[in-house]
Parts: sequence; C-alpha cells; structure tokens
Amino acid sequence: MIPAKQLIAEVVSSLRNVIAPAVTEPFQKSQAYMAAVVLEFVARQVDERADIAKEKQAALHALFHDLMRLPEAKSLGAPNAETEAALCELIERLYQNRQAMGEEAFGIANRRIRQALRQLLDQELKIAGKAED
Amino acid sequence: MAADKSVQEKIRDYLKGKIPAARDLELTDWVHSPGGWSHEIHIFYGNWHENGRTMRLGFCLRKDPGVGLLRELSSLREHYDVLKALEATPAPTPKAYWYEEDPSLLGGPFFVMEKIEGDVPNPWSRAGKQFYAEAAKRGKLPKSFIEALASLHNLDWKAAGLHFLGVPRPGNDFALREIAKWERLIDESARKPEPVLTELLMWLKANAPVAQRLAFVHGAYRTGNLIVNNDAIAAIIDWELQVIGDPMYDVAYVLSDLNRESSPLLSCLVERDFFIDYYQQLTGLTIDFEVCRYYDILYMMRSTAFWLSASGLFADGRNKDLRLARTTYSVPVVLDMAAKALGF
Repeated sequence: MIPAKQLIAEVVSSLRNVIAPAVTEPFQKSQAYMAAVVLEFVARQVDERADIAKEKQAALHALFHDLMRLPEAKSLGAPNAETEAALCELIERLYQNRQAMGEEAFGIANRRIRQALRQLLDQELKIAGKAED
Repeated sequence: MAADKSVQEKIRDYLKGKIPAARDLELTDWVHSPGGWSHEIHIFYGNWHENGRTMRLGFCLRKDPGVGLLRELSSLREHYDVLKALEATPAPTPKAYWYEEDPSLLGGPFFVMEKIEGDVPNPWSRAGKQFYAEAAKRGKLPKSFIEALASLHNLDWKAAGLHFLGVPRPGNDFALREIAKWERLIDESARKPEPVLTELLMWLKANAPVAQRLAFVHGAYRTGNLIVNNDAIAAIIDWELQVIGDPMYDVAYVLSDLNRESSPLLSCLVERDFFIDYYQQLTGLTIDFEVCRYYDILYMMRSTAFWLSASGLFADGRNKDLRLARTTYSVPVVLDMAAKALGF
C-alpha cells in the first residue's frame, strides 16, 4: 500500500491542480480547494499504524526462527535479514530447490511459509478490507 | 464532458485530410468518455456534404495519454492492427479507419474507428446489474454473449493474419508467457516486497497447464467490454489484452467470481449451465474446469499487477486520476482471494 502521507499529498495535488480548476460552480470549486487544505492538516495528524508493522515483524521473526529449526528447510540457508524482501527470496529458493528437497520437505516448509503469509496479509487487510466505496 | 475546443478543431482538420470529398465538415455530439483507464476515448459524429448528399458518421477516437494504465502492455498500434485483421472475420468488432503515430497532431499516438451504436451498461452499477438481469430473463443477450465469444475462439487466426500477436510453443508456454508478461509489470511497479505475490507467482509457474488448443483470445471477455444493441452483442471492445493462447483463458474469465460480484449469473448475465453447454456446442471444446481454476488464480495475479501499476502511477504523481489511488487498497484484497484459492 502507498504510505498514508504520500497518498494524502497526491490526493491534495489532484484536488488542487486537476479537480478544483475544472469545477465551474463557484461554491463547489471552493469546496474542492478547501478539501485540499483540510487534507493537508489531516496529513499532519496521521501516523502509519505501528501495530501493523510490529505484528508483521513478529510473524516474520517466528517464521525464520521456525524454518531454521526445521531439518527439511536447512538447505534453504539462513536469511540475511528478517524482512519481507528476504521472505520473497526464500520463497523463490524454496521452489527452485523443490526437486532436490523432495515433495515432503517442500510441503512442510511451504505450509509454514504460507501460514506466515496469511498472518502478513491479515495485517494489511486491517486497512484494506471491507471499505465502503 | 466536452473536450476543449482546440482538440476538436485539430481532429476536424485531421478528418478533413482523411475525407477530402467532405464539404462543411462539422463534429457534433462530442463525448469525452470517463471510461478507459489506459487510453483517452472521444466519441463524436462527423457531419458533412459529399456529392450533394448529407453524410453523418459516428467515430470513436482512442488516444495514448502518455501516462495511462498498462501503457507498456497495451499498444494502440496493436489495437488498431487487431481490429483491421478482424474486419474480414465473423467476430463483431468496429471498423478501424486510421492510425496516427505522429504526436504533433494530438500530443500522442491515436486511432479512429467506427462508433458502434448501442450501450455498454456497467455491470458494477445497480442499473447495469438490473439491465443484465432483465436481459438474462429474455434470453437473447446471453445467447449472443456466448456466440460472440465462440466467434473469437472458432476464428482461423492464422488466416486472419494475427500471428503478429506472438504464437506460444506447444505445451504450457502460453501460461508461462502470460505470467512473464505480468511479472514484468509487477517488477516495474511494485514499491515494496510482496511475499504473498511471490508465492502466487511461484505456484503459477510450477503449475502452468498445457493449452488444449491455440485460439484467438480476447483476454478480458465480460460484460462491460461489450457493446449491446437490441438485446445482442453489437461489438466486442477493449482490445488491449488479446493473445494467441488457450481459449480456457477466456472461459475462466467468464466463469470467474471476479466478474459477477454478488450476481448468481456469469458476467451478471448468463446462467452457468447454459454457458457451459452452449459454448461447448458452438466450439467443440470441452471446458476443463481444473485449467479454468488455474487461470482464475492467474487472473488474481494479473489484477494485482494492474493495481500495483495503477497505484504506482498515482503515488509517483504521474497520473492524477483518483481511481488509481483507490487501487492501492485493492492489492491486499485480491491477494487475499488468491491466498484463499491456494488454501491459505
């Protein structure tokens, strides 16, 4: 997801430079400009949710810890860092090594990774899920 | 919404050059369509006198805005060439008139095609859903929907000269090519690592199915991409994602929950059993539901690529369309659908 402050800044820019200039009715035009001003204040009130980042980090830490202890996943090697980027690389290595690992070992490691992926996704869905358009 | 006068004048001057016999050419009924995420769409009528007769012809102009969605994957030139190739086939499509690469004319490449009379009811709106539900009861439009799809899949694409789209090798090359195409867009668009998407991509590569035969595939065949007139499909539009590939790719799109929201009807229009029976009857193909399930998951990856690209354009300030901003929240939602389809 786009970070909140960056998203607000671009919405403000859209309101100020595209939408408001195209509105012909004076009252509605001023409303569009005022929405941009209000959003700039809102941006100062907003912080990214720390709980989400914390929960994601905990899920990643638990995953890498478990994988290190799984004999089936030894051949995947240790990650450089406990990050989502490292997890992406690990997933790619897992599929690349599938034949060498064998289906059973692949399945065990893949299930544990998918469990962590679900946890990561659930964190993102705290923001993205079931919004009213 | 009226286009600014200078654009209208430029197009009128352009058409004068293309229709030299036209006298007193005027463009009327101008609509700058709010639809279209990748290209600007202008619809208008040309009115002129020619050899003592009064002429009136509808035109649709699609223009590259320079910063539209799928710009790298959706070529106006290819769009034009596909329409030209389809003119001699039974597939219902608009006639393509002229293509222009020269950006000095309108600020970017564009082409002009026939305006097909009819409507494109939006299946995501309440009114659109109601329109399709009522049409489903009458029965004529669902039949026409399936016949138009079959007309594409039965088409002799070699004879139509559609090789330029690229021809997959036998086996699972079609699915792998599609994955590679969308993975390139993901690589260009993703602003942060997306491990769920990585798992999805790796699963798709590991499970790519063999195409049962190669056909001309629309790539986004659903209501909303079809002009409806008189309870029939007057034209298939949105030629942006067509490929030579597995016809199950289109069938999967029709069968997909992605394209019917809460409607029990496929594409909000067609009874599932009727679609399966009539499509198989018209094409001689047997629908492979396992393969369709695979392509349905591939569509989820494709949607993710769309939304990453769209939200990236907005975040970078390259496109101010707020619809693109909204899509940043669609990424986890569609990845959630994919994860559930894969069992996690």
